[in-house]
Formats: sequence, structure tokens, C-alpha cells
Amino acid sequence: MPGNAKSRINDFVVKLANVNGTGSASANTLLMKAIFRMGIPVTGKNFFPSNIQGLPTWYEIRVSRKGYLARSGSVDIMVAMNQATYAQDLAEVSPGGTLIYDSTWPRESVIARPDIAVIGIPLARMCNERFAKTRVRILMKNMAYVGALAALIDIELKVIEKLVRETFASKQALIESNMDAIALGYDYAKKHFACPLPTRLKRLDKTAGHIMIDGNTAAALGCVYAGATVGAWYPITPSTSLMDAFRAFCEEFRKDPNTGERNFCVVQAEDELAAIGVVLGATWNGARAFTPTSGPGMSLMNEFLGFAYFAELPAVVFDVQRVGPSTGMPTRTQQGDILAAAHASHGDTRHVVLFPGDPRECFELSVAAFDLADRLQTPVLVLSDLDIGMNDWMCRELEWDPAYRPDRGKVLKPRTVARLPGRFNRYVDPDGDGIAPRTIPGGHPKGSYFVRGSGHNRFGEYTEDSDEYLEVVDRLRRKWTTAAKLVPDPVIRRTRKAGNWGIVSVGSCNPAVNEAIDRLAAKGIHLNYCRVRAFPFTRKVERFLDQHDYVFVVEQNRDAQLKSLLMLETSYPADRMHSILSYGGLPMDYRCVVEAIEEAYLAGVAA
Amino acid sequence: MTSIVKPRIVHRGLSRNRLGLTIRDYEGGMSTLCAGCGHDSVTAAIIQALFELAVPPHRVAKMSGIGCSSKTPAYFLGASHSFNAVHGRMPCIATGAAAANRELYLLGVSGDGDSLSIGLGQFAHAVRRNLDMLYIIENNGVYGLTKGQFSASADIGTAAKRGEVNEQPPIDPVQLTMALGGTFVARSFSGDKDQLVPLIKAGMRHEGFAVIDVLSPCVTFNDHEASTKSYAYTREHSHEVMHADFVPPMPGITVSYDEGEVVPITMHDGSRLLLRKVSDDYDPHSRGAAIEYIRTQQRKGEVVTGLLFVDESRPDMHGINATTGMPLNELAFRGLCPGKRRLASLQRRYR
Amino acid sequence: MSCDVLEVDFDARGAIASSGVVDETTIPCDDVVLAIGQENAFPWVERDIGIEFDNWNVPVVDPTTFESTRKGVFFGGDAAFGPKNIIWAVEHGHQAAISIHKYCQGANLSDRLPRGVNLTTAKMGIHEWSYSNDYDPAGRRIMPHVDLKKRFRKLNIEVELGFSAEDAATEVERCLNCDLQTVFSAGLCIECDACIDVCPVDCLTITPNGDQKTIEANLKTARLEPEQELYVSGPLKHTNRVMVKDENLCVHCGLCAERCPTGAWDMQKSTVVIPYAIDEAERDEQLCRETRKAG
Repeated sequence: MPGNAKSRINDFVVKLANVNGTGSASANTLLMKAIFRMGIPVTGKNFFPSNIQGLPTWYEIRVSRKGYLARSGSVDIMVAMNQATYAQDLAEVSPGGTLIYDSTWPRESVIARPDIAVIGIPLARMCNERFAKTRVRILMKNMAYVGALAALIDIELKVIEKLVRETFASKQALIESNMDAIALGYDYAKKHFACPLPTRLKRLDKTAGHIMIDGNTAAALGCVYAGATVGAWYPITPSTSLMDAFRAFCEEFRKDPNTGERNFCVVQAEDELAAIGVVLGATWNGARAFTPTSGPGMSLMNEFLGFAYFAELPAVVFDVQRVGPSTGMPTRTQQGDILAAAHASHGDTRHVVLFPGDPRECFELSVAAFDLADRLQTPVLVLSDLDIGMNDWMCRELEWDPAYRPDRGKVLKPRTVARLPGRFNRYVDPDGDGIAPRTIPGGHPKGSYFVRGSGHNRFGEYTEDSDEYLEVVDRLRRKWTTAAKLVPDPVIRRTRKAGNWGIVSVGSCNPAVNEAIDRLAAKGIHLNYCRVRAFPFTRKVERFLDQHDYVFVVEQNRDAQLKSLLMLETSYPADRMHSILSYGGLPMDYRCVVEAIEEAYLAGVAA
Repeated sequence: MTSIVKPRIVHRGLSRNRLGLTIRDYEGGMSTLCAGCGHDSVTAAIIQALFELAVPPHRVAKMSGIGCSSKTPAYFLGASHSFNAVHGRMPCIATGAAAANRELYLLGVSGDGDSLSIGLGQFAHAVRRNLDMLYIIENNGVYGLTKGQFSASADIGTAAKRGEVNEQPPIDPVQLTMALGGTFVARSFSGDKDQLVPLIKAGMRHEGFAVIDVLSPCVTFNDHEASTKSYAYTREHSHEVMHADFVPPMPGITVSYDEGEVVPITMHDGSRLLLRKVSDDYDPHSRGAAIEYIRTQQRKGEVVTGLLFVDESRPDMHGINATTGMPLNELAFRGLCPGKRRLASLQRRYR
Repeated sequence: MSCDVLEVDFDARGAIASSGVVDETTIPCDDVVLAIGQENAFPWVERDIGIEFDNWNVPVVDPTTFESTRKGVFFGGDAAFGPKNIIWAVEHGHQAAISIHKYCQGANLSDRLPRGVNLTTAKMGIHEWSYSNDYDPAGRRIMPHVDLKKRFRKLNIEVELGFSAEDAATEVERCLNCDLQTVFSAGLCIECDACIDVCPVDCLTITPNGDQKTIEANLKTARLEPEQELYVSGPLKHTNRVMVKDENLCVHCGLCAERCPTGAWDMQKSTVVIPYAIDEAERDEQLCRETRKAG
């Protein structure tokens, strides 16, 4: 029995090493949700392969009484269920931690870590004895380790049982077999080990008013709430679940129960080129439409994004970023599309980009994206990433303002068009904000015009005349200035003690940066923090920069893309920005921020 | 002063359609294509067909991609909305437009480069989707705007104007569409409006994806003796098998026909299509037999034209999706947003 | 004012053959302005010198040579064929001059140079014509007149004031360019329909050849002037069909020729050639030269 484990209550990491396609995901989600329902802040990160069956997959659950959601870098309990990665998993356990493994096939000989505790549970043997079918045995092995963990780290059994009942709802037989399997693990652990371990849970009340949700689901919900009726996509990891969720919500809320008629239309396109095209065809006709994709899809969409910018059509594109370049690592996270999104397509193009920092913001910013796209008549790219999109994050409950009405922008109604004194000028801005009123096809003959990506004049007619071309593109630049006034401001966190050092970051770096700020404060280093939420940068971003002599720009890509964009778009000197980069494909670990700033601080103090 | 603008002359000899419009109301700007281009004739056929159908011009959306053919929407239906998409990608824009606004008449004009090379994938999937639109391919076997390269529809053995001979097999949009499950497949010739105009009318009325492959000679680069897409060659080798006579849904109109020679087809809107058999051994309802017939004639050097295949029974994109009857772009927001209370209740799943 | 009512008989040529008073009528009026014309009078021509007069007492004149029944005596103007305008008088002078020239040369008066029409293409290049081809739908400009009061004050005042520069330009642009002919060469036509498609009045049709009725039934636009002849070309080389044109509708905009890829349609300016005496003289000189060379 292990004797050197130190006591860690409600502050530890459980990592589960599984084989892809064995049904471990539902067991792991069950574990995390049970902890959440005990009122303890928790987060789960899924490290899965681009594979359907057979390759290794890990699930990392961080329990944090303080509510930290970033990766901490340590593994306090490893549940090693994959013989292929056994050695690697063993090596990863933090000193003083615990390794739980399936002892059906004894492995004491390979255990060479005196600094950790090792718990062997014959999960396979117990399940083989208990369950007849092979597939069921494999599935139940997962539930058995959930049972064992329940005993070892003190998860309340009644919480687990309730979750099982909710999950399998009407399927009584499944509820029974799952509870049986849980009991197998639970009872074995109770019988053979001193339960609970020093590293364990204790009920809290810190999750009230919160939910566990992934960003893709939340974004899909945002699309439903914003009134999107047309969705088009080509399946691509890690964005697919966004459209899956949209479809599911629409089947629930948008289908006539009597006739089966749908008031939405989802098109599975032949590729991403077509997916964005479908969106543009729909928005041209006045519907709210969107497409979810990831980096490779964004590359394919470039031509049409430039088209939409120039022809001034709304579009909402969710880029759930994954590791690039090229196909990259499809199931790993990164923020590598920032520059590509900001300037997607050839020629002088620039796009409105929104950066949600968590699933809740995926919901809010997706609604905002539709309003902005309609108002500005331009594509709005929502840059989420795999970490936000596919992992369950604990966040505050989503809220909805019943007074919300969509901002459909400057759209002329047929009767207004009919009353126009002269000819309809599709590309003339009457208000000075760079936005020209548009018409919807089929409305009024006078409102007809040509949508085209070729050079056009104020009427939408083909032109190769410099002055006519300049009139259009210079107005587009004015529209950009308007965009900077409409997009969401950054979220700024200030501390009274902070000096003139700041952090600028974006998206899913947020939990790591927030935790780093707390930990640095404990060491006497105080920083202000500005989380950018949109491109173009609003005045508040520029003000934040100007207020600080030195800023750390934290982001998840190799080439400091956010910093590059700040250099291009603000007057802040490049030599006063210091990059902190994390781009290996795993969700950000707060320690890299702490270490980099500490080092710089020491160097600064020394200087 | 020399003018090349077609003057608008409304004389008392001009007839008016059901909407009180003359054919002038269906015209567009002056063509900038080469003089004698077959595409201009297709434009004229479209104008004639839509005038006869009495479609309100502003209810039509003209769709195109890039290329000579894709310029033509500027030359007809000046009062219609129009979308000049990027090269080969008109079908996806049309898909989105149809998704959002199912009451719009979608009329696409594409070319052999736009549909059979860069846009082949998009074309194929629009067929599969059975998108409710008329899709005209102005097929001339060459790239005109880039000065006469072969296109994917050029026949083996065809020579370019400067003598180079094509050795790659052609993609035949008619056979391709049939193989992909197309529900309305026709071939015609820009120089035969008697055949083309009724086809366009029927295609507009077809609920689903209607493809008309129109052989449309390129006078500048492909109207020479070694071409199989010239005026002379097409006239000599085209062979009509099914002539379509379109009968609009008008009360009181009865049409008499000889049952042995005419195949009547009732369209979704109640209008009727009378297919007059020009060739006895042709069956426009059998996909397999139709493809076989076209291939046999092709081996003999004949280009089969007319309405080659129709299937009015398959649902279109909205039929498959069971989309509500009202265009999605007209649905009120309050019917689309589930609201505050639903949001609160559905979040129980995430605890 | 009292007037006689006449009944008149016309002869085959439309001239008055006989007349007689059948009634009398009175027209009430305040003033009467006398404008009763004039008539030919030849009291100075002796009736026995070989110049024959007809029953209206007008000399008998050959309508081609303008020679009277006495050789070497020629008549022209009102004196020859009764009242006509000055344009005809000038023409008569020209024709008589030719006759006099030939008479002096001892040549046959009837052997005259033929009249003709010269056609020359108006095409200058792509999109460029040597005439203003744009059809202007503008209505006829109204000629401004001197105010009625002024006209009564001064009876010999010039009534028409003339067009303003703008109105003159508009009026000129209204010209239908009748001197520009649409000339068709059937052998060049490839039946691409470009002319038919572009014609703004739909006056062209390609149709199988047949009798007048069949052709008329196929016309793109029904005829407005059934009496006017249709242009029907010879057979076209691809299909043996014919090109038909309803000239009544044509506005001579030239777009058929503009859009014709082979030049089968052309806009050609027609110039009427009427020979003058000097042309006869030149022909004589040329004949002389040729005879000398040959000799």
C-alpha cells in the first residue's frame, strides 16, 4: 500500500488513459459531472486521436476548489487503461501521485516508480465474470473504474447513480448493468484499499449557477437563438459537433410537431468552398446563415470570404481552430488562424474576427456575430478552438434577454425601394458610416442589382475605372472604422497594485492567464490583463496598451500572430511587447505564463 | 455618333404577355461577347421563354460563375437580381439562395469550363441535391476569355484553331447528369430556338434541378472545320429525339394530340409538357435506355438533342428536408428564437 | 363669295379630260385674298413651225429627251409638263442640256447614260459607323413661329423662326437614315441568329422558304403594313432556309450588321447617280482617247 501520498482535498488532477472507441468518453464525462454536482469546480480536457478505434486517448480532469480551469501540468491520479501507453502514463504521474491500473494481467514487474502509489484492480477479470457479451465487457470495464474511483476519491455514489439514471433514462436494463459495473469497482476498492485516498473530494457549494458545456454546443445554441435558419458545413474536426448540436436543437425547437415541417435548412456541402457559398446565397436572400469549420476549411473558404468582403454580404463563420499548418494535428488545439482569418483572401481584405474565451462567450458572441454581420454586411469569423469547442468547461449559466431583437442592418423594404426618387445605388453610403443599404432578391424590381466579385461601381455594375473602384474600396475602409466601434470590447482585469506591466491575451488562454496572475500576485508580481475579444481592435485595446510600458502577449501559436496584428494595427512599439507562446497542441498550462513572466520580472529587476 | 446600345423601341406590333409586359421588359444590357456568339442566342431564347411564361422579372435570380457564359446574365432580365459568383461555384450560392428563399426562380447560366472543370464537383452535388433551379450550360468546347484552350467537353480529335489536337475524352454533361440521378436532362443548340425556348420554359417549371446542355458555338475560337462544336457541324450532326411543347396551366386550354406520338407529362404546378417523339425508339422515362441510346448515336457521330429524360416524382432539396412552405427569409424572429424560459430549462442537461 | 361647282372627268393619265358647271354656291366671308395661280401661255410660238401643241395648248415634249416635235427645240420647267416645283425645273434643265449636247454632237438623243445607285459600306471598324446610327425615340420638334399678331401687322414677315441649336440637333438625330441600306449576302450567313437576337424591332426572321403565307406566318413580328413587300433572301448555305426582313419596322440602327460575325449583313450608304451633260462630255472624250489608242 502506498504510504507517501500527501493529502490534497479538492485540488488535484485525475488523468484517464484509454483506448479510442472503447466507450470511455461516457464514463469520463460521468466522473466529471459527478464531481461538478458535488459542488466542486472541475474541468475536463479530452486528448483524443484522429482515429475511430484503437489509438490512445486521454481524459484529464482537474478538480480545483478555487475554480481554476487551465491545465496545471501535474497528474495526481493516473488511471492507466491502455497497455500501449502504459510506460508513458506511468512516467507522467507526479511524484507522490497514484497509478491505478487493470491488474487482470499483473504488471508489478514494470512498475519502477518508488515515488508513487500503485493500485491494481482486476477490472477486466471482474467484468468478464460478470458480463456475457464481449462489447458489453469492454464498456463496463470503464464503469468499473468509475466505481473504483468513487471509492478511492470519495465521489458520492448517489450522485453517480442519479447521473446514470438520467443518462440512460428509459433503458432500465442499461441502468442496472452500469450500476452493477460501478459496484464491482467500488466494492473491490473498498475491500482492498484504504478508502478514501488522501487525494480526494469533499462536497462544496461552488458550482451553483454554473453549467458544464462545450463551446460548440453553446455556439450552436447561439445560432438558434440569433434566428439562424440556414446552416451549411463540410464535416471537419473539431467543428463538426457545432452543426450536430445545431441540428439537434433545431429538431427540438424548430420542427412542427404535427406536420414535421422544419423551419431551418441544413446543407451538408460537398466541401468548404460550397459550404461558405451556401451561406452567402442564403444571406444574400436575407436569411441568417452560418458555417462551422476549422483551419483547412478556412483555407478553402478564402476565395469566397474575399468575395463576401467585396460584394458586402453577411456571413458567420465559426473557425474552431486546430493545429496547423496544413492538415496538422486535427485533434489538437491551437490559435494558429488569427492572421489568416483577419486577412483571409487575396487583395486588400480585412475581416471582423471575434474571439470567445469560453463556451459562454461562444453563445454570446455567436449572437453578436450575426448582428455584426448583418449590420456591417460582411463576414464575421468567430475564432474558437478545439479546447473551447470540444471540451466541457465550467461556466456561468447562459442568459437570454427577452428584449433582444436581431439587428438586420440596413435592408430596404420593397415599399421603400419603390419610393426611391432615383436609381437604387447598391454601394453608396448615405449615413457616413461606410455601410450602404441593400435589398433582398424578389422584393421590388427597382431594387435589383448585380452581386459580383469583379470590380463594380456604386450601382454594382462592372467597372474597370479607377475612380469608380476607389469609391467602393475607400468606403469599405470607412466601414472598417465603423466596425471598430461596434465589435465587443476587451475584458480587462485590473489590480490596484499593478504597475505598468500588462498581459494581452486571447480566447482559450484565459484560464491559464487568470491563474498565472493569481500565482504571480502571490509572489509579489502584479499585472493588469486585457483579453482581446475582437478584431478590429477597439479603442479600449489601444488605451490598455498605451497605459502600460510593457506587455506580455500570450497566445497559442508559434509565430506570435496576435502580437503581429497588434504591431500592424496599433501604434504600440513592437519592442515593448513580449510574446509568451504555447503551441504544442495541448490546452494551455498556466505554468508557462508564470515562468515566462517571473523570468522577465527577475531580469527586469536585475536590470 | 456610333452607338452599340440596343435602343428600346416599343412599336404597336409588339405583343404583351399576361403581366402586360413586352419582350423588351425581359431584355438586359447589350452583349459584350463576340459578334455571332452562340451564347447571345441562348440569351435571346431565355428572354423569349420568360416573356412567354410571364414570370415577373424581379422574382427571378440570375446565377452565374465566371467565363463568357457567366457574363450573359447581364444581357437579359435587367430587372432581376443577379449573382455573379466565383469560378465554378454558382451552384452553392444557388443552394443557399434556394434554402433561404424557396419562392425565387433560380436561373443559372454556366459554361463547360465553369461546370465541367473547376465546378464539376459543385455541379454534381447540385444535381444530387435536386436543387430547384434551371441550369443552362452554354457548351462550346473551349475557353474563350483565355483565348481558345480546350475545355473538358472538347471531343477527342477536335483541333484547336491553331492546329493542336485534343486527345482527352470529353465529359458529356448530359450523360453525367443522368448518371448522377438528374431529374430533367435536355440538350439543345443555340441555333435552334424552336427547340430551345420550350425546353427553357419546361425547365423553369420543373420542380428540381433542370439541366439544359446547349451547344453554343464559339465563333472566334471554335467555329472552324476541325471543330465538333461549330455551327456547321452541330447543324449537320444533331438529331432531335424528343421535342418538348410546353403547355402552361391555364383553365380551358385543352390540347389534342396523337397518343402514339406524344408523351404527356404533368408538372408540379399543373402545367403540362407534351413530348413529341421525333424518334420512335426513344423512351424519356428510362434512365438506362436513354443513356444507351445517346451512347449508340454518339458512336455514329450523332449528337442527340431534345428533352432526353424527365422524372417529376423525386422531391427537391426542400422536399427532402421537409422545409416549411414559407420562405425561411420571411419567418418572424419570435418563431425562431426558443426564448428565455426554454434556455433556462434546457441548461439542466449541462449540470 | 359665290362659286361655280364643277364636275370633272379625268383621262387615263389622271389629267382633266372635260368639265362642266353643275351648280353654284355662296361662301360667306369678311375678306377674300386672291391667290389664283398662273398658267402657261405660248402666244409667241408660231403654230406653223413644226412644234405641236396638245389640247391644253401646251407643247408636246418627249419625257426623256425634252425635245419638242421640232428637232433641236427643247422645253423644260412648267412649260414642258405643266406646273411643278423648282427642283423639277432644275432636273429638266439638266436633262435638256444632255439632249442639246447630243444634238450638237449629232448623236442619238435617246442613248443616255443610265441612272444608278452606288452602295458603299458604312462600316469603319468594330463599333464604328460612318453615320449616326442611334435610334432616337424623341418626338418631332415643333417649329417656332412668329406671333400671330406680328404676322398680321407685317404680312411679308418670315413666319418660321428656325430651330434652336438643341432642337436642330435632336431633329437631325431623328433621321431614320433611309439612305443607309441593310444589305444581306446570303452566301456569308452562318445562321447564328445574332442579327435576329439583337434587332430592336424584331424585323428579321430566318425561316424555311415557302409561299408568302407560310413565310408571313413565321415572322417574328406580325406585319403592320401587309401591302409593303418583304425582303426574302436566297437560300442560306447551312439549312436552305431564307432570311426575311420586314423593312417597315427597320430603324436602320445597324445592330444586325454590328453583331454579324461574317459580314453577311452590312450597312451600306446608297448614293443616287443622275448623269449630267458633263458626264456625257467626259464619256465622249474617253471614247475618243480609246479610239485614238486603238488606231
